[in-house]
Amino acid sequence: MSTTPQNAAVPAISAEHLVRRFGKFTAVNDVSFRVEQGEIFGFLGPNGSGKTTVIKLLTGLLPLSGGSAQVVGLDVRTDSESIRERVGYMSQNFSLYDDLTVGENLRFYGRIYSLEPARLKRRIDEIIALNNLGPYFDRLAAQLSGGWKQRLALGCAMLHEPQLLFLDEPTAGIDPVARRQLWDLLFELSGHGITFFVTTHYMDEAERCTEVGFVREGRLLVKESPRRLKASFKSRLIELEVDPVMPALAALRNAPGVLDATLRSGHARIYAAEPEHLLTEWQRAWPFPELTLRNHAWVEPDMEDVFKAYSQGFTQLLDSTAA
Amino acid sequence: MNIRSIWNAIASVALKEFLHVWRDKRILALIIILPPFFTLLFGHAFEATELTGVPAVILDRDQTDHSAKLVKQLKKKNTFSWKGTKDTGGDPDLLRLHASAALVIPKDWASTLENGTPAPLKLFLDGTDATSADELEGRLREMLGDFQGQDDVQELTVKPLFEELPPEVFESLKTITPENRAKLKVEFQKLVKPWQTDTHILYNPGLRFIDYVTPGIIGLILQLLTVTLMACTIAREREAGTLAQLIVTPLRRMEIVIGKVLPYLGISLFLIAVTIGVAHFHFSVHFRQPFMLGIICLLFLLCSLGSGLLISAFCHTQTQAIQFAVFYLLPVFPLSGAFAPIERLPDGVRLVSDVFPLTHFCEAFRMASLRNAEFSYFAGDLLFLAIGAVVTCGGAAWILSRTDA
Repeated sequence: MSTTPQNAAVPAISAEHLVRRFGKFTAVNDVSFRVEQGEIFGFLGPNGSGKTTVIKLLTGLLPLSGGSAQVVGLDVRTDSESIRERVGYMSQNFSLYDDLTVGENLRFYGRIYSLEPARLKRRIDEIIALNNLGPYFDRLAAQLSGGWKQRLALGCAMLHEPQLLFLDEPTAGIDPVARRQLWDLLFELSGHGITFFVTTHYMDEAERCTEVGFVREGRLLVKESPRRLKASFKSRLIELEVDPVMPALAALRNAPGVLDATLRSGHARIYAAEPEHLLTEWQRAWPFPELTLRNHAWVEPDMEDVFKAYSQGFTQLLDSTAA
Repeated sequence: MNIRSIWNAIASVALKEFLHVWRDKRILALIIILPPFFTLLFGHAFEATELTGVPAVILDRDQTDHSAKLVKQLKKKNTFSWKGTKDTGGDPDLLRLHASAALVIPKDWASTLENGTPAPLKLFLDGTDATSADELEGRLREMLGDFQGQDDVQELTVKPLFEELPPEVFESLKTITPENRAKLKVEFQKLVKPWQTDTHILYNPGLRFIDYVTPGIIGLILQLLTVTLMACTIAREREAGTLAQLIVTPLRRMEIVIGKVLPYLGISLFLIAVTIGVAHFHFSVHFRQPFMLGIICLLFLLCSLGSGLLISAFCHTQTQAIQFAVFYLLPVFPLSGAFAPIERLPDGVRLVSDVFPLTHFCEAFRMASLRNAEFSYFAGDLLFLAIGAVVTCGGAAWILSRTDA
């Protein structure tokens, strides 16, 4: 591990025009991006958009159909074995051996990475301390709840002190408290210089990332910091207080000039290219006699709005120069 | 709950269950192809239960017209496939001759036949399979009886009976009717004793069937356990998702395969020791060449663990793996020669038998332990098992490297 290029100039991941086809289906289509060391890169996209396939390409699990990629400074085409020694991977469903104890799971993964006994013991102690797994050390993995399973899986993935960790939907199916605790842990590890590549569906998690990439139908739409992403949302958003709200959503979605409407805290949030014009119109002549418009407010876009705009292709709402 | 809603509930479960089978194309293929295939295979396997074409050697040390005639007569039936061989004198060595039986026509046999008291023919039988040995001896006696019943031979054998009769009898014979003469002939024939053979049972002189069947029992138990245990190992990890996790580690595929085989190999070796212990202490079966038996068991286990692993690498779920294991093991029971010699199977079916590791295990085990044969007699079987182990384990690793978990 001492031979690993640790030069700060070397990006953790550098992907150039990645392509992966399965027969006629193109799962990953000309994806290029860089992830610098120490970043927490959030990879967002709907199910089936190619997130997991990108991870498999970068870890050498799947061969590339086109393009090239360097991971921790090594070429995925030729050095995938060396890459695997330097990166960690936690798969979607925290794949652990249910009939082994916490300690046995950890020791198993440690030995796979051929850690010497002294180092293995030190690493297990460190991980137990970091993840607070101590009280569960002799418990079977099957008996752990989702949050603890996920901590153990994370522990197994980072036993060998990887420079880069791929976490494939690390928080799927666990409760919000456990999710927040996991993110606190990721921040702490990130502070130690570990780079994270995290796929997620949760927008609040995307906000915690240092960089976010949106992927749709195998294409990377954008990669930016959350702040700049939100700044790229140039259109303003109106929230309407309207009664009754559910029929209002359906009616508003079909109204001319409205791209979409969603329910946020009991109000209807409107996505439109010219919201000011629309509001003036509505205030002049409210077109829905069965609905009562009570109030309106201008709101700041959040990550969910940005993601929506990118994933549904509402390019009118976005400032392409900002991102 | 009325009848209709109960029926609807049952029908929806039944439909769902049917869809599980229907959607699993691997299991569906097995279900459609194998029953008719096995019916044909097993049907042909047990179509004829008589032993035919048993390799046998005839040593004619008499070299007379009579002995030549006997040889010709014996060759008429297809129970034995007689072949000539260079006679080196002494008792024939069945192993070296690759024969299950040897018949020696002793020198001066024709002259003793002329005298009316033919010297007994020497029969050497491979007693490894006790039931077959009994059957072969009976068949040979039948053939000798047929030979004895031929008119000219009969005359020779009946002659001494006449010699003992007083002359008055011959006088009275001249006066009896042809009808009575025929009856009398039958009565005389009954007096003629059937020829005895001087039978030597080799390799399993006690003709103990348990000695023959022990390797079959051991092999079958181990085959069953190894294949089913092993078949689940990779499929289980694939279902649990841990395989994907393993594959992103620096572990090589061959390391996974060997790592998976080792503990089961240890367990199986222990189980073999237990079964051998039971056979020895409870059934008093003796085992010769223990070192060689160890090698045979080891290679057999590697080969069957490899078969299980290959099934496991190929299947996506444990359910599939178990189905495939069962369908693989099904023909092994009747066709491997575990309980009955594969010599009884027709040639086409024996080609299938030769594919099973258990067939070669039983052959090699019996060669070494029962016949106390030298290594060269079962080297071929060991080679098959060794190649089988490499091919199946290597195949499993190859399949693993091709699947993107």
